[in-house]
Amino acid sequence: MAGNVNCREASRLLSAACERNLVAGEEEALRHHLERCLMCRNFESQLQFLHRAAERFRSGAN
Amino acid sequence: MRAGPRISSEEGGPCCSGKISAYRRTAAAMTDPRFAEIESHRPYMLRYALSQLRDGPLAEEAVQEALVSALESVGSFNGQSSLRTWLTSILRYKVIDLQRRAVADRAHFQSAEAADFDDESWLDALFDETGHWRAPPLAWSDPEATLEQHRFWETFEPCLDRLPAPGARVFFKREILGEGTEEICKEERISPSNCWVILHRARLALRSCLEKNWFVAEASIGR
Repeated sequence: MAGNVNCREASRLLSAACERNLVAGEEEALRHHLERCLMCRNFESQLQFLHRAAERFRSGAN
Repeated sequence: MRAGPRISSEEGGPCCSGKISAYRRTAAAMTDPRFAEIESHRPYMLRYALSQLRDGPLAEEAVQEALVSALESVGSFNGQSSLRTWLTSILRYKVIDLQRRAVADRAHFQSAEAADFDDESWLDALFDETGHWRAPPLAWSDPEATLEQHRFWETFEPCLDRLPAPGARVFFKREILGEGTEEICKEERISPSNCWVILHRARLALRSCLEKNWFVAEASIGR
């Protein structure tokens, strides 16, 4: 799936990357998209935030 | 047979309000200074139990039993782990015990939601025909400081509860308990790709809920 992905597809890949290794074509397409798309970079940061929030929630340090 | 009589819940009330009289009767519960602190972890414990048991009354029973055990043995809590971690380890045993007891009743473990994973209409609600965000994710201000704010968690918890059907449970297992996807697939009897769809959807819903109800709301009242 080399080539362009849109935001919908990029969001799917960003979430999938939390679960599995992306294959080369996916990774390249995602990186290419992220370079050009601030909104998806925001989503990427938000996923990282969700992960940290979840860890915090588990320990009860909230 | 489940131990003890079932106390029916108060109508319309939150999850557990009517169900704690047995617990309250425990003399230790009334006098132990940690009663309120332990009790404050009940919503988290219920989420944990629901993520494992899928059955509301059964999950409440597990939490109930765990809280009673916790109060009986709170003297042995040495503070090496957080109180929540300690309570969760007690609850885990109760959950496993109840799972064993319920194993004969397969109904508890049938896949409750026959979700249609090929149906992507939920994505159409979030992205337009060209695949662009309908509500583009914003840059969240100061996320680290956010995690330190007690009030943030008052938004986080309801957002978690509002996730679409299997999402809340799967997200809880994956992100909060840190279970592996493979393990979750087995427990949920779904394929990995279906698991990814559920998580994708849950993450999008959670980020949207937090953005709307915390980050935008906070910015508008000016921190």
